[in-house]
Amino acid sequence: MSIEKRMLARELKLIAARPGDIFKPMWFLMLVISMVPLALAPDSDLLAEIGSAMIWVATLLALLLNTEHLFQSDFSDGVLEQWLFLDRPLAWLVGLKLIAHWLFHVLPLILITPIAGLMLSVSTEVLFALLATLFVATPALTCFSGLGAALTLGSSRSGILGVLVMMPLFVPVVILAAGVLIRATDGSDTLPLMALLGAFSVVAATLVPIAVSAAIRLNIGGSN
Amino acid sequence: MGWRWFHQWGSPRWFYERAGRWQLVCGWLALILLVAGSLWGLGFAPVDYQQGNSYRIIYLHVPVAFLAQAMYAAMALCAVVLFVWKMKLADVAMQSIAVMGFAFTVLSLVSGAVWGKPTWGTYWVWDARLTSMLILAFLYLGAIGLRAAIQDPDQAGKACGILVLVGVVNLPIIKYSVEWWNTLHQPASLKLTEKPAMPASMWVPLLVNILGYYIAAAYLVLGSMRAIVLERERRATWVKELIGRA
Repeated sequence: MSIEKRMLARELKLIAARPGDIFKPMWFLMLVISMVPLALAPDSDLLAEIGSAMIWVATLLALLLNTEHLFQSDFSDGVLEQWLFLDRPLAWLVGLKLIAHWLFHVLPLILITPIAGLMLSVSTEVLFALLATLFVATPALTCFSGLGAALTLGSSRSGILGVLVMMPLFVPVVILAAGVLIRATDGSDTLPLMALLGAFSVVAATLVPIAVSAAIRLNIGGSN
Repeated sequence: MGWRWFHQWGSPRWFYERAGRWQLVCGWLALILLVAGSLWGLGFAPVDYQQGNSYRIIYLHVPVAFLAQAMYAAMALCAVVLFVWKMKLADVAMQSIAVMGFAFTVLSLVSGAVWGKPTWGTYWVWDARLTSMLILAFLYLGAIGLRAAIQDPDQAGKACGILVLVGVVNLPIIKYSVEWWNTLHQPASLKLTEKPAMPASMWVPLLVNILGYYIAAAYLVLGSMRAIVLERERRATWVKELIGRA
């Protein structure tokens, strides 16, 4: 088996060992969504208006919560160190790890957003747009939060610092996604904005793993 | 001659002594320029026909906002120097610029809010430039927080360097996306490519003040860099001698 296949198989085994890890972010998402009508009003028109934006922000937070300790266990049990000895570029392995993370941890999160949409009475067209933006934007978000996780690896008292450090970089993604949602509500053309969002995701997915691998090297190299 | 001028920068002691002299020059220059520019701008420049006297806050707000953005670029330049030439002094510069840049960003947000109240009728609007300034403040805060969280100074410096480089690539994207999202702010008061719309009696003191604030920022950064050098080199003999003398 190639190294790539073995890495994916290992990720699957880790999830099988602790399936609860997948459900916690979904649980969090549904809790946040349940809080919105409680904090606002059970008025379905009002909820429909802000619902898609609320779901977006809640998914973003759930994703951040989920990715915060992306490399922590691999770092403490020495797997990251072993990566350095493989005959593959570190950025490639990081990219694989991020893809696996997206597949097994972020995708389930996206797949339950339609339920949240129904709860907040979001219309079907907007719901499709919401799903599309999440599919296109989450690779970029996963990469950036992975970078936050890698940068704070060496510090034991970082807390949610990785999240705080990376959040400002999400601004373009959130703005573009919100633009798509607003246009979907009006019924106007969403394609140009989706294309921009996709471009951002592609660039992030190609370049950010390089930065992540530099951050990992830094933490493994220690003080030298 | 050769590379000597370059290698000198690797010596903390050389820097500490030289920077003291530069600081003196910068301090006096900044003081003269700022006193002249501010007196001229606040006391003698004509009153604006629309905004009255309240426009005079530009003599603080514009230079500070310029600096807030320029300092992030300076920090990114230091990060490049740190990674390419492994120069520790660049890391020291990055550390002090992050704090100063954050201070200038907050100052520009606050002075903008104070100006916004009489001009727009509100302290805060979600306008493009205000929002990107706020994001910039968070980016500076990230660089400061990341350094504070990592104990080993070398490792903290490199982690900050990665963060700052990723940030500087994203900054234009953030700026343009926010601009596209909403724009209501008046267009930039000063542009390099165009003649300013203000009369010379208004923009000349502004230019004096901008120069003054830049040199004042250099003074502040040099001072804080010297302090950091002393702290990092506290085990070196020359530092012990220096402190013993004082």
